[in-house]
Amino acid sequence: MENGVKGTVTPLASVFPVEGAQKAAKRVQETLANRQKELDYVHNFVVDNTNLVNLVQRLPDELSHDVMVPFGTVAFFPGRLIHTNEFLVLLGEGYYVERTSRQTIEILQRRGKVLQEQVDSLKATIEDLKIEASFFDTTAIEAAEGLVEIREDCVEESPLEERANQSGVSKSVGSFEDNTKDATEDEEYARMMARLDELEKVELAAESNDEDGDEDFCSSISPHAFDHHLSDEHQLMDSVQQTEDKRAINTTTEYPLQNIGLKQDFVKQSAQIEDLGVPLMPKEKPISVEKPLLSPGLRKKVDLSTASRTEVAEDKSTSYRSETGSNSSKAFTGSIVEHTHGLQTKSVGQTTTSQPSKPVSRFKMQKGGR
Amino acid sequence: MDEIRENKVQRFEEFIDCRLKPDLVRAIAERDKVFEQQKIFLDLKRNIENLEKNDVTSLRTLVNLGSEVYMQADVPDTQHIFVDIGLGFHVEFTWSEALEFISKKEERLDRQIEEYTQLIASIKAQIKLVYEGIRELLELSADRSY
Repeated sequence: MENGVKGTVTPLASVFPVEGAQKAAKRVQETLANRQKELDYVHNFVVDNTNLVNLVQRLPDELSHDVMVPFGTVAFFPGRLIHTNEFLVLLGEGYYVERTSRQTIEILQRRGKVLQEQVDSLKATIEDLKIEASFFDTTAIEAAEGLVEIREDCVEESPLEERANQSGVSKSVGSFEDNTKDATEDEEYARMMARLDELEKVELAAESNDEDGDEDFCSSISPHAFDHHLSDEHQLMDSVQQTEDKRAINTTTEYPLQNIGLKQDFVKQSAQIEDLGVPLMPKEKPISVEKPLLSPGLRKKVDLSTASRTEVAEDKSTSYRSETGSNSSKAFTGSIVEHTHGLQTKSVGQTTTSQPSKPVSRFKMQKGGR
Repeated sequence: MDEIRENKVQRFEEFIDCRLKPDLVRAIAERDKVFEQQKIFLDLKRNIENLEKNDVTSLRTLVNLGSEVYMQADVPDTQHIFVDIGLGFHVEFTWSEALEFISKKEERLDRQIEEYTQLIASIKAQIKLVYEGIRELLELSADRSY
């Protein structure tokens, strides 16, 4: 993590108390058991209905059947079933109707459909309850394990300054940059790969935990149909692979390396972009909540966004761009699109078009490009 | 001393709630079942007496095939009736034999009801006893506090 980062560490147990989650899980289990009983009950009706249909079908085969005719509940008379094709069916509310065997079967089949619909709806309810129960179970387990939720403020200035100091970039562009570039490129590359791995792991964990955070995340960055990007972000985090968005991410990850070369300009520009980005900070916070490890990596993207200052100056969504630029520290999606455009406009030997998703090739291309 | 009393009071209450009251509920449920049986046999007796009175030799009924679907059934000879005497046995009776059986059955049912009623009464008495004990303890401890 970068120095000077302020943040809060919230144990998940405080948000979802362990006992509360367990109690909720129990309640859901009970409801689930009740629904299961109802399902069995209705299922019995379905079975009875099917049996009755078979019986009604077979009865007209004979003129009369010898049966034991019940007389109350505890007594029988030996007797015969007569008029074997005539059935008296109760339609409900005291209405009876005389029907033939075939008509009775039709009535029973219609009843069977209604019962089947009930069964299906009960099954759907049970499925939902099962999902809810599993969610509560996992939450209870995680809260008991002491999972923490880390929120960090996105501090944009200091890292850049630190970078400027670290990379030792003076105000003069040129050979000095080239020398430092090669040396720091490898370091950056190694660091980026390590960060990406960490981020992937966090992403996997965060996905299961922070559904709310995800929603906030989406809502905060949602404006221009970036929702699909946002949903992709998790995948992006997991595997910085290509889709077009992913390509953009790759391009953005390139930026740190490139920034090293173009530091002094970016340092100047970063201030502008940070100003633009500052108002957007509150929005970004929910995003940063989920991905603590992302923020350091994303900070690099902030640098990248500073690189795309021309993009900021550009068109349709300058604020949007800055938003995406500043969001790039938190989320890939917005910045990804922006940066690709910016990259192409910048075209400082940056290989935007031919970006394969693999970072290796990108860096190679960077090296080749330079 | 007060603590001991309070403990006792609590134990008595628990005993009532966990032991005596469920027992009472169960006994009442069993007695209700026997009441139902009694009612069934009473209805059967009335029907048979009706048949005898009207000299009904054959009758037409509607038989429930399941899910309230009825079919006509004809009983040609009503002289012989099969009655469930318990343990899964059905015995073929004539009317008079059936009536005799039903009266014997009713006697037995009445005795069972009597037993259940006594059991219920004793459980109720025990509950009352424990309540009185609790009240004594509470009153005494209330007195002590002054």
